Amino acid sequence: MDFAPVIDGFGVVLQPENLLFCLIGVTVGMLIGVLPGLGPAATVAILLPITLTVEPVTAIIMLAGIFYGAQYGGTITSVLLRLPGEASSVVTVFDGYAMARQGRAGAALGIAAIGSFVGGTIAIIGLTFFAPLVASFALDFGPPEYTILALLGILLVASVGSGTLVKALIAAGIGLLLATIGRDGFTGSERFTFDVLQLSDGIDFVPIAMGVFGLGEILYNLEDRNNNTKAPTKVTKVLPSKAEIKQSSGAIGRGSVIGFFLGILPGGGAVLSSLAAYAYEKKCSKNPERFGQGAIEGVAAPESANNAAATSSFIPLLTLGIPANATIAVIYGALLIQGVTPGPQLVEDNPDIFWGVVNSMYIGNVFLLIMSIPLIGIFVKILQVRAAILAPITVLITLIGAYTIANSVFDIFLVCLFGAIGYLMKKVGLEPGPLVLAFVLGVLLETALRRSLILFGGDPTGFIGRPISGTLVAILVAVIAFPLIAKLWKSKTKQKELV
Amino acid sequence: MTTSPTRRLRALAGVAVLALGLSACGGGNLGSDDSGENFPDGAINLTVGQDPGGSTDLIARALANPVSDDLGVEVPVLNRPGANGALAAKELASKSANGQELMVMNLSLVAITSLTVPEDDAINLEDYTVITGISEDDYVLVSNADSGLNTIDDLKGAGALNYATTGTGTGSQLSSALLFQLAEIDGTAVPFDGGSPALTAVLGNQVDVASIQLGEAMPQIEAGTITPIVTFAADRNEFLDDVPTAVEEGYDVEVAQARAIVGPKDMSQDVVDQLREAFTKAFETDAYTSFNEQNLLRPQELDGDELTEVWNQSVETYRQLTEEYGIDLGSTE
Amino acid sequence: MTPDRAETPVGGEPESVEELVAQWEDEKPPASGPLTNVATGALVALLGVAGVIGSRSLGLGSTSQPGPGTWPLVVSVALIVLGVLLVARARTAGFGEKFSVDSWRVVAGLASMIAFTLLIGNIGFEIPAALLAFFWLKVLGNEGWRSSAVGAVLMPVFFYLIFVTLLKTNIPHYF
Repeated sequence: MDFAPVIDGFGVVLQPENLLFCLIGVTVGMLIGVLPGLGPAATVAILLPITLTVEPVTAIIMLAGIFYGAQYGGTITSVLLRLPGEASSVVTVFDGYAMARQGRAGAALGIAAIGSFVGGTIAIIGLTFFAPLVASFALDFGPPEYTILALLGILLVASVGSGTLVKALIAAGIGLLLATIGRDGFTGSERFTFDVLQLSDGIDFVPIAMGVFGLGEILYNLEDRNNNTKAPTKVTKVLPSKAEIKQSSGAIGRGSVIGFFLGILPGGGAVLSSLAAYAYEKKCSKNPERFGQGAIEGVAAPESANNAAATSSFIPLLTLGIPANATIAVIYGALLIQGVTPGPQLVEDNPDIFWGVVNSMYIGNVFLLIMSIPLIGIFVKILQVRAAILAPITVLITLIGAYTIANSVFDIFLVCLFGAIGYLMKKVGLEPGPLVLAFVLGVLLETALRRSLILFGGDPTGFIGRPISGTLVAILVAVIAFPLIAKLWKSKTKQKELV
Repeated sequence: MTTSPTRRLRALAGVAVLALGLSACGGGNLGSDDSGENFPDGAINLTVGQDPGGSTDLIARALANPVSDDLGVEVPVLNRPGANGALAAKELASKSANGQELMVMNLSLVAITSLTVPEDDAINLEDYTVITGISEDDYVLVSNADSGLNTIDDLKGAGALNYATTGTGTGSQLSSALLFQLAEIDGTAVPFDGGSPALTAVLGNQVDVASIQLGEAMPQIEAGTITPIVTFAADRNEFLDDVPTAVEEGYDVEVAQARAIVGPKDMSQDVVDQLREAFTKAFETDAYTSFNEQNLLRPQELDGDELTEVWNQSVETYRQLTEEYGIDLGSTE
Repeated sequence: MTPDRAETPVGGEPESVEELVAQWEDEKPPASGPLTNVATGALVALLGVAGVIGSRSLGLGSTSQPGPGTWPLVVSVALIVLGVLLVARARTAGFGEKFSVDSWRVVAGLASMIAFTLLIGNIGFEIPAALLAFFWLKVLGNEGWRSSAVGAVLMPVFFYLIFVTLLKTNIPHYF
């Protein structure tokens, strides 16, 4: 392995602007994680217009920072308020809140920060060695391989969502149909534009993401649910004791490894891995009855796992060009807008971006560790800002931000329209994630499929005839059987999705 | 609802400060909306109808700095990709002709894309004011070095071939379609989005050959991973003097990409002259000339009238050739 | 916001993981029924039918030379199949949430955003932003008159500082 680009990547990260944006990303991410309501996907979507004004590498460093910062931020409310800010922190509630009631909130948050740091760092090391391995096959990835990869990505994300497969696929289908609007790249003819000039080049990704994720969630939150505001528990001593660190070191290590591997699986991500790490810790503990009563391992394991998974879920994005979850799909969209197509060629073509982003995660995790401890007090204060005040601020940022992307009022209308669609989808039980993901992958999927068919002279069996695409087809078939297994597993662990 | 108003307000201010700090880092002046008599009045927007990172974008950025220095105003490069640049061109046509709005126009948009779209959608040079020509970029037909396809005769003997183009309505598509037609090679066009994916398709043996802009192909040619077969230039390129042109091989295919700076129709001569002078100075800077050399671009720094004549000639030639050989470059619905 | 729920969480402090999960389940709004799924499925199938008609007019091409309509046709047919499948499985396909008496708040919120969008091109963003902020604070957020008024003044000022003074964006502004 050639380490020169890895070192150069550090040069990229250490530029003051990138350091600053990494810091902003991590801080905003933690903040968003603390505030219940908006998830990381919505936050990344709402902040997209800001990232368009900076270099691609800076933009993705910040967006990545938001993503893993949010993983940690969600922990704070789980521990102090028994309200998980993010779905990936749901299990942390069990022992974290118990610890808080015993007056050990500081230790819980401290161990979560250390676990997040270790988990994140282990995953980055894995990413550093794993990614170039996949990228060495890069040139063998042609249109047929991309076709199957894109299909695989959409199917995987659809199959592990919280709803049923039919509904997830419907959402994905709508996303694919939306992606066909605009001028056809092969023939130049306009499709489904209804003679609207603004549609002739297709719908922008940004208004869709901002609308479906951002405004959709804000509108959804207007209907009262889970608004119990409680005074947060006092945080006294933040650092865990030596004994506590020793007690949880094994849990941190195991959680990191579980998180890393589950995070690689498209669709797996942070939620599943935190559940798996908690379940595993409880199962192999000598006295499992302590879990739920304030066992520090019960905080350390899932927190290490969700941060490791957040990091390793960048592997399918950066090496195969497949977003593993909704937030990564928004980051993918941001990269496309910047003219960077994530995929097997990324390491070769844009080593600065690839290694810049990977290495920024080391720095980001250091920021996370350093800042989490002094900032906990500030975050506790922010928890007292009520949703009623935050909502209009977020709405205005979204609407004004939507205008500034292309200086177009039409885009604000689009954001409102997709906000309404996002809200309605939630009401009827359709997840917005697969829609946005399918929209992002739609153009890639269609063009790759059409190129493949031209190359094969119209013979669809050509997909099986090539070694890599043949293997991918086999995986695709396996994936269609996967949701059944996942469902069984899920009903066993009784996962509770909290919005 | 037990929170006191003052505490709520303090919290509100806290959020405001935080969001302010966050947004402050967005940076960048997105333009100015003022217009006036004195030119230049504020930033001059240089629009590029392609994604960032492509040849057109790089050229625009190489010129924007020295022009900005000369005129003493910002010259931001704005990417407005879509429909081979037609979208940006249409927007430009409707803007005020005060010299504050310029665009890098591609010959392929005027001469080739217009052959593939309905007449109403075609971009016509007459609807713009040409400030200055910039440079020309040759196309070269390349194959994978391991494929054994080194000459046109090899292609003829290879049976049915797939060739990658850099998109519908590009010089890449026109040049290879013409060559395959004239040499009676059985080929299927596979459109990609730009030179880099087309090149990757050749490197990965997804397609047999591709017509690519010379600057984009050169690093791989030098690395020996791809073999140049012919160029579509008028003369042999000094950096590739052992590679014949298509014309030398007996096939009358001469296609190149060229670029020019244009503004909306009916700009005042005074403003055009000032801009032309600023760009001419930019062309002479060391940084720009070495940029041209690095990217194998041949300067074509003609004035408006000369450039219009040269380009109109290309438009006519391409139209005749496609009609004569019955080449269909895409939908004409 | 219903005050009694805000003050006393349902079920008090849960003692175990199971109780906690059960409590979350209780706090969830009522689920929508199979009828919503039937309506959704029918709507999706209709969208698919419209897509098929649109694709045909675009030109379907062939498998060796796919036309502009080929892919939209594939997606539209898939939507029809999925829509029908959802109707058929309406009882087991999982439910969303019932529309509640609170849903008017969403309509009102959306209407305020559309009003904002309609006004911004004519009178700039400041006044619409103040109106929107006041509406969200006072009506949707149940804030007091004083903090609503203060918020409605502070927010546009704050966004003016960011988007006009600092970022110099082209957002239409009156002042």
